[in-house]
Amino acid sequence: MKTKLVALAAAATALTTGLSGCGSDSSSSSDSKGGGTVASQMVFGAEPNFKTRPDGIPGLEKNYGVKFGKYTVTDVGGPVTVNALKRGQVDAVDLFTTDPSIAANNFVILEDPKSNFAAQNVVPLITKTKATDGVKQVITGIQAKLTTQNLGEMYAKVVNDKADPADVAKGFLSDNGLDASGTSAKGVSLTVGSANFPENVILADIYAQALEAQGATVETKLNIGARPKYWEALKQGSIDLFPEYTGSINSYLSPKSKATSPDDVYAALVKVLPSNLVALDKAEAQDSDAIVVTQETADKFKLKTIADLAKKG
Amino acid sequence: MIGDVFDWISDPAHWQSTNFDAGIWEQLGAHLQYSVIALAIALLIGLPTGLWIGHTNKATWVVSAVNAVRAVPSVGLLVLLVVIIAPHFYGRTDTGYVIPTEIVLVLLAVPSVLSNTVAGVQNVDGAVRDAAYGMGMTGPQVLFRVELPNALPLIFSGFRSATLQVIATATIASYVTLGGLGRFIYDGLAQQDYPQMISGGLLVAALALVSDLLLALAQRFTVSRGITGRVRRGDRDKHAGGNPDAREAALTQELTSEAA
Repeated sequence: MKTKLVALAAAATALTTGLSGCGSDSSSSSDSKGGGTVASQMVFGAEPNFKTRPDGIPGLEKNYGVKFGKYTVTDVGGPVTVNALKRGQVDAVDLFTTDPSIAANNFVILEDPKSNFAAQNVVPLITKTKATDGVKQVITGIQAKLTTQNLGEMYAKVVNDKADPADVAKGFLSDNGLDASGTSAKGVSLTVGSANFPENVILADIYAQALEAQGATVETKLNIGARPKYWEALKQGSIDLFPEYTGSINSYLSPKSKATSPDDVYAALVKVLPSNLVALDKAEAQDSDAIVVTQETADKFKLKTIADLAKKG
Repeated sequence: MIGDVFDWISDPAHWQSTNFDAGIWEQLGAHLQYSVIALAIALLIGLPTGLWIGHTNKATWVVSAVNAVRAVPSVGLLVLLVVIIAPHFYGRTDTGYVIPTEIVLVLLAVPSVLSNTVAGVQNVDGAVRDAAYGMGMTGPQVLFRVELPNALPLIFSGFRSATLQVIATATIASYVTLGGLGRFIYDGLAQQDYPQMISGGLLVAALALVSDLLLALAQRFTVSRGITGRVRRGDRDKHAGGNPDAREAALTQELTSEAA
């Protein structure tokens, strides 16, 4: 019997020795190797897809010669990314230009003179059969009024002031004289969808409310999730109208696309859309990716553009 | 697709880490770390508590209360804990994410360990326990020399199911910036790299199976043959002819040889 207790004790000791090696901090290894450039001393944080996207890590290396020391996977421009940058877990991140937390935390957006990031104009995708002249007219009217500025402000209202996206959408429509009721979309019934981040929900609400005011029968499916989840629904017609962003939907459909300017990206997108979907007018409003650092990091290395990350540091 | 998965998993480049990408070995190590820490803590909490409750029959409500914890959704709790805990850590450390992950995994493992330990001790044959007291054993002696060895099969089964659950659930660590095999599942999904995603799932399943196998082996060598009824091959041959009750004979032999 004693031998068995000894065996148990040995197992317990093995477990505790295993434990002692576990507290090591995996992300500190990046400090040790120099490499020379500013970026090589940095930990970069972004969503998983950024590592392989053509305009992600491969694009930064090709266009600017920027190679980061280490990559920490965070979320898609969400609270995890912001918190990691704020607390110094990472030194540079990929955020979206309309993100209110950039201003709130005094983060610095590094300029992108070589257009590594493709244009991301807001573009409504709609099922061809639902795109009547009346519907098009309503949507086009909205698109003409959407700017990066007012989109960012609406986003901030929802994120910072906890406003209801539907109320924010209503405010936008009335501020821009788009809330008149009429009959131009009468007889059309469609389902408006959105991804699960506030800005996209606001856009979907704007489209839905405007179309409803013009007599359409509108159903909404908001907060569906990420693109792989909603794209099939849109393609198969169980969702008819969806606010998209030209660059990201274009690179989703043709991952090797090289278009970056707003017009080129829009033209490329129109070519690769499935035949049952139409892209309506793109808005001036953009929500594009940006490399963002803290004010301290920008001051310390004198960073203004992404290219500065490739300097010797 | 199956071919693609095989290609992905058999590519040596995916096993080795580079400066930028953690390979399968590194993520496997991280996954084991999270799991082993959680299981060790769960064992430290669940085993003594379970033995005490089973032996004294006091505070049995604790078992029901702890079992209720099984209903807590792991991902939801993890995100909540990260939001509360992570902002307290500054600098290049992932402690703010490791602590919430371990809490979630420990909460997952403790109920299995605890309730099986209690059940194991409580289900020890009353006659055996009485005999032990009758021989003049003290309370702790009865617990550690009679009840614990007799309860071992159930304790092991609780620990093994906890291990399976923890290894499978440790994938959610990747949801909050950490490593582990879940990294391949989340990254594969985000990058539309489905062979990577499926490989991640297969690796988690393989790790769980191998761990269970090792624990089964450990169980085989720690649980008394008097309980399992397994006999040495030599003994079995010896008794195969005349004596029908080989088990009892083997047990007697074992006990006498140990006493000697």
